[in-house]
Parts: sequence; structure tokens; C-alpha cells
Amino acid sequence: MTRYIVRRLLQAIPLLLVISLILFVMMQNATDPLATMGGRTPTRPEDRARLTRQLGLDKPVYLQYIYWLIGNDWTKVDLDGDGVAETPGKRHGVLRGDFGTSIVQTGRPVTTVIWERLPNTLILMLTSEFVIVLGALLLGIYSALRQYSLFDNILTGLLFIAYSMPIFFVALSGMYIFSINFQRWGLPHLPTVGMFDPKIGKTTGQIILHMILPVFSIAFISFAAYSRYIRSTMLEVLGQDYIRTARSKGLPKREITFVHALKNASLPIVTIVGLDLPLLLGGAVVTERIFAWPGMGRLFLDGIDRGDTPVVMGILMLIAFAVVIFQILTDIVYAWLDPRIRFD
Amino acid sequence: MKHLKTVLFLMVAFMLVLSACGGGAAATDAPAADDPAAATEAPASATEAPAAEKKVTTFIFTQEFDNLNPLYTNQWFTAITYQIWNCYAWTYDDKNAPVPVLVTELPSTENGGISDDGKTITFTLREDIVWSDGTPITSEDFVFTYNMYMDSANTVASQSPYDEMESVTAPDERTVVVTFKDVFAPWAATLWKGILPKHILQAEYDAAGSLNESSYNRTPEVGCGPFNFAEWEAGSFARFVANDNYWLGRPTIDEIFIRFVPDDASQIAALQSGEGDLGTFIAYSDIPALEEAGVLMFTAFSGYNEGLYVNLGEKGHPALKEQGVRQAIAYAIDRESLVNDLLLGRTGVAATYWDNTPFVDPSIAPYPYDPAKANELLDAAGWTDSNGDGTRDKDGVELILKYGTTTREIRKEIQAVFQQQLLEVGVGTELINAENFFDGYAEGGPAATGELDIFEYSTTANFPDPHTSEWGCDQIPTDDAPDGSNWQAVCDPELDALASLEATQVDAAARQETFYQISRLIFDQAYWIGIYWDPDIWAVNSRLTNVKISGATPFYNIQEWDIK
Repeated sequence: MTRYIVRRLLQAIPLLLVISLILFVMMQNATDPLATMGGRTPTRPEDRARLTRQLGLDKPVYLQYIYWLIGNDWTKVDLDGDGVAETPGKRHGVLRGDFGTSIVQTGRPVTTVIWERLPNTLILMLTSEFVIVLGALLLGIYSALRQYSLFDNILTGLLFIAYSMPIFFVALSGMYIFSINFQRWGLPHLPTVGMFDPKIGKTTGQIILHMILPVFSIAFISFAAYSRYIRSTMLEVLGQDYIRTARSKGLPKREITFVHALKNASLPIVTIVGLDLPLLLGGAVVTERIFAWPGMGRLFLDGIDRGDTPVVMGILMLIAFAVVIFQILTDIVYAWLDPRIRFD
Repeated sequence: MKHLKTVLFLMVAFMLVLSACGGGAAATDAPAADDPAAATEAPASATEAPAAEKKVTTFIFTQEFDNLNPLYTNQWFTAITYQIWNCYAWTYDDKNAPVPVLVTELPSTENGGISDDGKTITFTLREDIVWSDGTPITSEDFVFTYNMYMDSANTVASQSPYDEMESVTAPDERTVVVTFKDVFAPWAATLWKGILPKHILQAEYDAAGSLNESSYNRTPEVGCGPFNFAEWEAGSFARFVANDNYWLGRPTIDEIFIRFVPDDASQIAALQSGEGDLGTFIAYSDIPALEEAGVLMFTAFSGYNEGLYVNLGEKGHPALKEQGVRQAIAYAIDRESLVNDLLLGRTGVAATYWDNTPFVDPSIAPYPYDPAKANELLDAAGWTDSNGDGTRDKDGVELILKYGTTTREIRKEIQAVFQQQLLEVGVGTELINAENFFDGYAEGGPAATGELDIFEYSTTANFPDPHTSEWGCDQIPTDDAPDGSNWQAVCDPELDALASLEATQVDAAARQETFYQISRLIFDQAYWIGIYWDPDIWAVNSRLTNVKISGATPFYNIQEWDIK
């Protein structure tokens, strides 16, 4: 197993390099970090020329990528525009742990910018994932055990309606019903925006209160896919010979369902969850924006809008790295769930 | 079940850990030692200080600050906070009259503050101005600010207007002398918008070689506004507390929270629910719901007038070269109804490019809606529907115009209305909504490169100053000079001469007369056809009192605001 993990990690290095190159080139061509530097008016040509030079954007893309990767402290840059590169570069490059500084938030290390937001996103997304998986397990198993029953049919219909709703509609509807209208009707109501009320402070109670609507929105549209998947895998397992054997042995139904069937049905579920978990780091772009949740999704969206390449690259590389790690973890969980799987 | 309990326990424990490390510590970023509200930084509880006695208000901003240092951002939402915690040397009131803040009065030729050649401007500072830590604000702070803007080690957002200067000197503590390379007419609208404290930042600059990574950029320990910066939690909010040392009087409000809510619909919800007391850039369609919730609307004109630019360049439609055709377009569109129906009667029809600025020519009224007059002018210009296809033509060229704008919803709706009205007088249009509308000539922007026959947007350069470079012949973008701002490619020698003249006039009355001539010429020639005034609309909770909002410096009297 150890050899397998080491081999997978080594394989990931060229993969991450290729991913970083593709993303870097895409960002360079898709956005203009100087477009919004003028505020409400377009950036002046004089400022554009100066900033292009100071930020190193006048260099060819391949050179900018090399500086991003290995830094520019081995060369000199021309800051004053006199045509002479006399100022030593300060960047160390990603390979030496320096993800650079944000263009929009001048001078702030990308790692600091991301770290400010990462815990907020994890709070929201892990809670949502937990609610989704738990809810989907309950619904999926219940549906599988009562296939084609009235409950199964109604649930299937409702889940597909929820699945087909855009999340912004669910989120804004929730906000207007449970925040504004409940307040208007004199009922206990939920807050509209933010992670907490700044007048009260970042307390656990405040975070839980502010998390209800965002988690509800994310979970509402996600139950369908998960629960349908669990339902179908459970149905497949419930038809297996060993389940019939367990039944004929007279084992209790609960034990058959949760011990024999669910454990065997969970292998494909683990694959899906394993793929989803690293993506949680990216946050929920739409939900975070609507509820003004200070997470990675908003940071990512702002970064794209403003052409903040170092920040966007930092987020994307974090996710890419997490995908690799979680894939390896998923493989390990496979082996634990199914003793027949041996990676060595 | 046991496993489920364990999982739930771990989940809650994990959340608590994340809550603890998720920036809560950052929220207490370096408040000033004498911060009178420092006690409120920890989460409030029932046993703490009597928070109810404090006057606290919450603003909603749809953009978070990039950076609080004036050097590093031109972002509007940041710049307007300088009237809260930093300071402008002077602000403008809700009638656009200047209000001295750091200076005794605004320099003029009459008071001797502006030299005869117009290039040297002398500012006299008030005697009582101090930073929030009590240190006097002196002319050295102004010189330091200038030096930092011009230092190539600082990646400043814009060097304007400091790069127009030859020098900034401080002959004594109370006098600042600015010498421009050439006469620079818009100085009053562009200079000294945020000052840097030399006594804090000089040492930092000397040690690091630049201010790019200074802690002042996010946690400015001193300011010169009516409030002091207290904290900024990334993505969530910033907090400002009353400055006891403010020389124009301590603010009535004790604390201001600015919450960052990027989504427009969520901003409206927060204002409706009372979680926010103030927000801006309110869409016309949201006004009724806010008013129903008891929120007051303030309209602040900031120089923006939505209008149609007519492309007179080589790529533009040949019909537009004729004055009669341009005027016919102005007569053919019903702007009065558009303002009443689409914009709920909340604004007015724009007659000139400078409507609602101090330089507007009040004698100019918008072209009335008169399709018969439009038909008459088009007929006279020789554009008739000779082939009966519904659009006019001449010499085999159909009068179908490429009408472009941004992807903003209200602009799309206006396009649809105008398309129908123009077709009624035989002018066809092809509607274009470009994501890259504002891209310049070098980037291939459709307006800048002349791909559009008529295009719609609004802009202003240095409100309340009227200066714009958009009408100069030398500003028509070309391959050799791609940065020009005259995208409509209007090159009228008379207009060009007047535009050059106003840029060098420091006498306000003479300059106003020049702008009257410019406005009349553009109006008569229909080089630009006004559509509607595009003010900033602010939503303010009725519990806030004494609120006045200026288009140029919205929070100019914030120290006088109160809470019922």
C-alpha cells in the first residue's frame, strides 16, 4: 500500500505541472487585471503601461509562468521604465512555496488571502455535504426498500423538481420567505446575509443561524442526485444472493439493510463523495455570493472578475492538489470496505 | 447509532475549531490604542457594556475594498470611505459646492491661490488639523503623499493627477505649493483625495523600499476623517469608530459597520429587513419594494448621463455623416415616455453631456419626440424607402444601423424600445450587446474600433469637473495611437478648438462659457443624443437623519448624521 501511495504521489507531480500550465495560459488570455484599476473610468493608458511593467505583465506568457513557478529572484526587473532592469526580483515561485501576491489586494500573499477564506468555506460546505449525504442516505435507502410505492413515486417527483431548480432561485426564495416575509409577519426569522452579525460577533450560535439558509439551498438541489444513486445501488445489492441468504437465515431486517446491504452498496457512493470532497474547497460560488458568505467561491469569482491571476491560480492549484490526495484516500477506503481489493 | 453520534460529535467539534480559526483573530486587526470602541470588539454578550446606548449604523457595499491605502486603488467603494476615515483636502456638498476640510479655502485667481500663468497653485492648511493620534497634519504629509504616488517602487493604481505636476513643495508647515507642467484645469476635482501620514509611513517605506506590503494598506492605524478605522474582516465587514480628535466636530454616530454583500438582490433584501441602513446603485425596479419597507431614496447626480454616441468614423454608416439624419434619430425616439415607463419617472431626459453638473447650459432642452419631423429630415436628406422593404435607403445603401451597448439589462430594454421607434421612421437597427463593450482599440472593443454605428453608455471623467478628452481630434484611436478615447471619431475643428481651450482655462466663468459653446455645438450637430440622467440612487433607512449625499463625495457631512 505504501509503495502504491508513493507511486501515485509521484505520478501526480507531472499532472499538477500540466494542469498549472493550462490554467495559467487560460487565465492570461481570459482576463485583464488592469481593466478595473481606473475605478469607474477606464484605466488611463499611462497607468496601464506602468502597471503592466511593474507587475511583469509585459513579459511573454511562458516567462510569466516560469516566474510564477520558480520565482524571479534570480533576475532583475525594470520598475521605473527607463529600459534598464536594475531592481532584483523578489518572487520565490510556487515550487518554493511562494504563490505570489494578489494583484487586486496589492502586496498581500496569496496564501494569506486564501487562508482567510478557507475555514469559512469548509464550515459551510462540509456541513452541507454532511446534510446532503445523511439526507440522501435516508431517502435513498427508504426508497429502495419501498420501490414503486406511493412514497417512492412522490419522493422521486419532488426530488426531480428540486434538482431542476437553479440554486439562485432556491436561495433568493428562501431569503425572501424565511427572512423578509417571516419578519413582516412577526414570526421568528432568519438573517439575510453574512456569516454572522458583525454587531454581535463571530460566535458559534451566529454562524449556525446564518448557515441555515445557505446549507438548505445547497442541500435542497443536491438531494436528488445522491439519493437516486444510493437508491439504485441499494436496489442492486438487495437483489444479490448473499442478501437472500441472509434473509433465509432469519437475520433481522435492520441488520440486513444496514450491515450487509449498505456496506456493499457504499463502494460506489464513496467514489462519488471522494470526488466531491476536494471540490468543496472551491466553495459554492452562487450560494456564497447570494448569502454574502465570505468563502472561497466568492474569492474565486472576484478573482476571475478582476483578473487576479495569482489568487485564482492559488485556488485552482489547491483544488487540483486536493483532488489528487482525495483520490488516493478514496482508494484506501476502497481497500478497507472491500477486502478483495489489494493495491500491492 | 453509536457511530452516528460519534460522527455528529466530530462534525460539531470540527465546526467549532473552524469557527475559532476562521479569521476571528483577524477581526481584531490592530485597532488604535486609544480606540474608544475597542471594548466592543469581542463578541457582545448580555453582560457587556450597554451597547444599546451606542449609535451604530450598518452600510451595505456591493464591493469589498481592494485596499484602504489611496495609493493602491481607484475603486469607488473604497474612495468614498476616505470621507469617513481618511480625508480629502476638500469635499463637495450636495449642490456640488466645494467644502474645505484640510485647507482654509479653495485657491482661486481672485484670492491669489492660483498664479497668473495658472500653473502654480498654493494651498493654505487649517491650523487645527490633526491625525487621529493627535499628530498635526502638515504640508510635509502632502509632499510625502506626492512622493509616494510618483515612486516607481510603489505599484500605485493611478498616478493621475500627480504625474501632471512638476513639483510639490512645503515652504512652511501650513503651505503646500503645487506646480503643474502645464495648466491643469480639473485640479479641484482630482487633487488630494486621501492623504498619507508621513510620521507613520516614512519609516516603513525606508525599511521596505516601498509601501506595497505595508500593514497600513489594510489596517490604517491613523486617519484624518470623522471616524477611525477599527477592523476589517475579509469578505464580511469593516468597522469604523468615531474620531474624538476630528476638528470639524466629533460625529454624532459612534460606530459604522460596512458589510460586503456582492449580490444586488441580496443587498435589497438586507435593506428591506433592516440589516443594512444604507446601500447604493439601486435599480429603478427595486425602488417600490424598498419604499414599501419604509426605506428612503436619495438621488445623487455624479456626472453620468446615458446617451447615444454617433460614429462618424470611416467604418460608421454613411447616413450618420449627415446632420439631418442624426437629428432625425433624436426626434424619432420617445425619451420622455421611456423615462416615465421604464425608469418609473424617477429621473429625467438628458439634453446635454453635462446635465446635472455645474457646467450645464440650462438653455438647452432635449429634442422632443416628433416622428413627423424625423421623417421630414430623413426625406430631405434623400433617405427614402425606394424598394418598399420597410427601411429607408439611398444609392443602394440600406439605412440599417448597428446599435451596440453593454449587457446591462436596462440598456437592452432601451435598445428594444428604440429599435421599434426608429423602425417607425424607416431606420432599421441591428442590436448588439457586447461583453467586451468597454475594451479599448488595442483589445478590439467594438465601440473603440468603430464596429458600431451608434452606441450607448454613460461616462464621466472627473466629476464635478466637466473636463473630458472624448471630443478631441487627436483622441480618435488608430493603430499608431490606440489609446484615444474619442471612439465616436468626431473630428469637428470648432469643437476640437473649444475642447483644447477648456482644458487650459482656470477662470471658472470663462470656462463655463466655453462649455456652453461646446454643449450647444454637440447638441445642434447631434453628435451625442442624450437619453436619461443616470444618477446614483441611494437607499437610506428612515432611522438615519441629517443625511445629505453628494454625487462627488457622498459622505461629505457624515459627522452630522444621526440615528433616531
